[in-house]
Amino acid sequence: MSLHSMRELGIVFVFAAILLILIILSPNAFARPANLINIIKQASINGILAMGMMFVIISDGIDLSVGSIVALTGVVSASFAHPGEYPLIVPIILALSIGLFVGWLNGVGVAVGNIPAFIVTLGMMTMIRGVALIVSRGAPVFGVTKAYEFIAGGFLFDRIPLLVVYFTIITLISAYILTKTVFGRRVYAVGGNDISAAFSGINVKKIRISVYMISGLLAGFAGLLLASRTVSGNPTAGQSYELDAIAAAVIGGVSMSGGSGKWYGTVIGALLIAVIGNGLDILNVSSHYQLVIKGAIIISAVLLDVKGKEKAA
Amino acid sequence: MRKVLLMAMGIMLMTSSLLFAAGSAEDGDAKPERYALMMSHMTNAFTMELSDAVKSKAKELGVDLTVFDGGQDVSKQISQVESAINQGYAGILIEPASVDGIKPAAEAAKKAGIPLITVNQRITDQELASAYVGANPVEGGELEMRTAAEAIGGKGKVAFLLGPLGSDAQIGRTQGYYNVLKEYPGIEVAYEQSANWRTDEALKLVENWLQTGVELKAIVANNDGMALGALKAVEDAKMLDKIKIYGLDATPDALAAVKEGRLSATISQSTTEQGLVAMETIVKIVNGEKVPAEIIVGHTLLDKKAVDQMAKN
Repeated sequence: MSLHSMRELGIVFVFAAILLILIILSPNAFARPANLINIIKQASINGILAMGMMFVIISDGIDLSVGSIVALTGVVSASFAHPGEYPLIVPIILALSIGLFVGWLNGVGVAVGNIPAFIVTLGMMTMIRGVALIVSRGAPVFGVTKAYEFIAGGFLFDRIPLLVVYFTIITLISAYILTKTVFGRRVYAVGGNDISAAFSGINVKKIRISVYMISGLLAGFAGLLLASRTVSGNPTAGQSYELDAIAAAVIGGVSMSGGSGKWYGTVIGALLIAVIGNGLDILNVSSHYQLVIKGAIIISAVLLDVKGKEKAA
Repeated sequence: MRKVLLMAMGIMLMTSSLLFAAGSAEDGDAKPERYALMMSHMTNAFTMELSDAVKSKAKELGVDLTVFDGGQDVSKQISQVESAINQGYAGILIEPASVDGIKPAAEAAKKAGIPLITVNQRITDQELASAYVGANPVEGGELEMRTAAEAIGGKGKVAFLLGPLGSDAQIGRTQGYYNVLKEYPGIEVAYEQSANWRTDEALKLVENWLQTGVELKAIVANNDGMALGALKAVEDAKMLDKIKIYGLDATPDALAAVKEGRLSATISQSTTEQGLVAMETIVKIVNGEKVPAEIIVGHTLLDKKAVDQMAKN
């Protein structure tokens, strides 16, 4: 095994250690196969957001607007999913295209407007939350069709939640784009050093706009999934989802300064966050303590990972 | 691109200042009387219903009403009250963003001699206000818990979904649960956790609880949003025949679920009634009438029978 891949393994050990601890603490509930599927299901929406976030962070950006996009696409798609009104494809297309459009706006603001990504997406986060509240008149949208509910609530072969299927497919596509395509290599190049990337003939603006569009599209899909899962579009849904997505990417070793990060690290990051939440709920740890423990685990996971990399290097 | 953005921002600023200018121009003529409604936020079904009720009563009484959105930020709400005092409003209705933090605003109103009524939540220094109009959250919690306790025959395990810990409604309603539990020693609280009023958080939490195989008889939630999350989790686990779910607030989606026989019951805190009475009361005070310091609007139980009855009327 190469030195490089050894370095990436730090977080895998941390993840395994936390799993082991929870299995020992709760052998009858946590370690049941049904619960393990439940954990992957609960990791799915954040995992999908984290995949988009990964592209953005690798390109040396950040996308704070994804939580608000989740809310907006959730309420809009739910509004078009009432029984007997529109075919199922309408809410799906709407959610995806709104996400894509907001992502495009973010990308244009960052790449063409030269405004820092933090500012553009912070402003967008606030605006889009406002739009979500306006279109829903501040109240949840409910009364959706069974078919709409099935999008996130259904199962494959009666066993595997569809959420897990989507998460898997999106992960595989993201992994392919990032590691096997010219576009993927260019995202790394732009994040590593945009000046030398531009000199080597890469259209930096195009790459930047594209990563925000990927993030927006996935956020739109996540919004559709969340609304389907909760059988209602909620304008206050998705609050702080951007932070969980960033946490998943960063726990997984995606560098906040851009240019590096692996898809499987992000997957483990998303799983880790879900495992901690699930484990603490099952052990009936009070919500106050849960916040402290979660934060501490996120910091120490990254710390151990960083220390491990230093030693390996 | 930047120029376009700058121009757009400039135009927005200009239009908003024009709006403000138009507002102050009205200061001169005294009629109709102007009232201000300060909402803690405008992002859920409850706050929308309350403000709509106040607005409709204001229209009926022929007085002018301006609604301010505090954005769940107590310092913002204080500034809004201070500006309203300066702008010469005749009376202020406030649905406080914080029961303690709003004190400076209430003091300022008292000093300026402008009547101020707190709606839905009492503040810590309630004597600073002219009156309180609202429901008693403890009573609401008691009614909800008593309904659940009777339905499960007074014994078995239950779980509580709480609002954000420390909020007035969460404290009061949960207090109500425990008041009733004193009469039912056979009921054991297996889980008690906050899901922050949110459907998605409650869904995740209940999914995790059910993984432990605990035999819950009822899930009692501080609001309907969380009750609907619990309902989805229980339905997904195909356990609705074993676990009864109760909510509070009587939001339209919860009422629909009660009507379909999925949610066992919700409790109405007579939100519309609170709004109507509050507006009526502030006008009375401004016109020099004496009103009681506390006007309590009662809770009503809305189970399937009551909802079906409502539909008939």
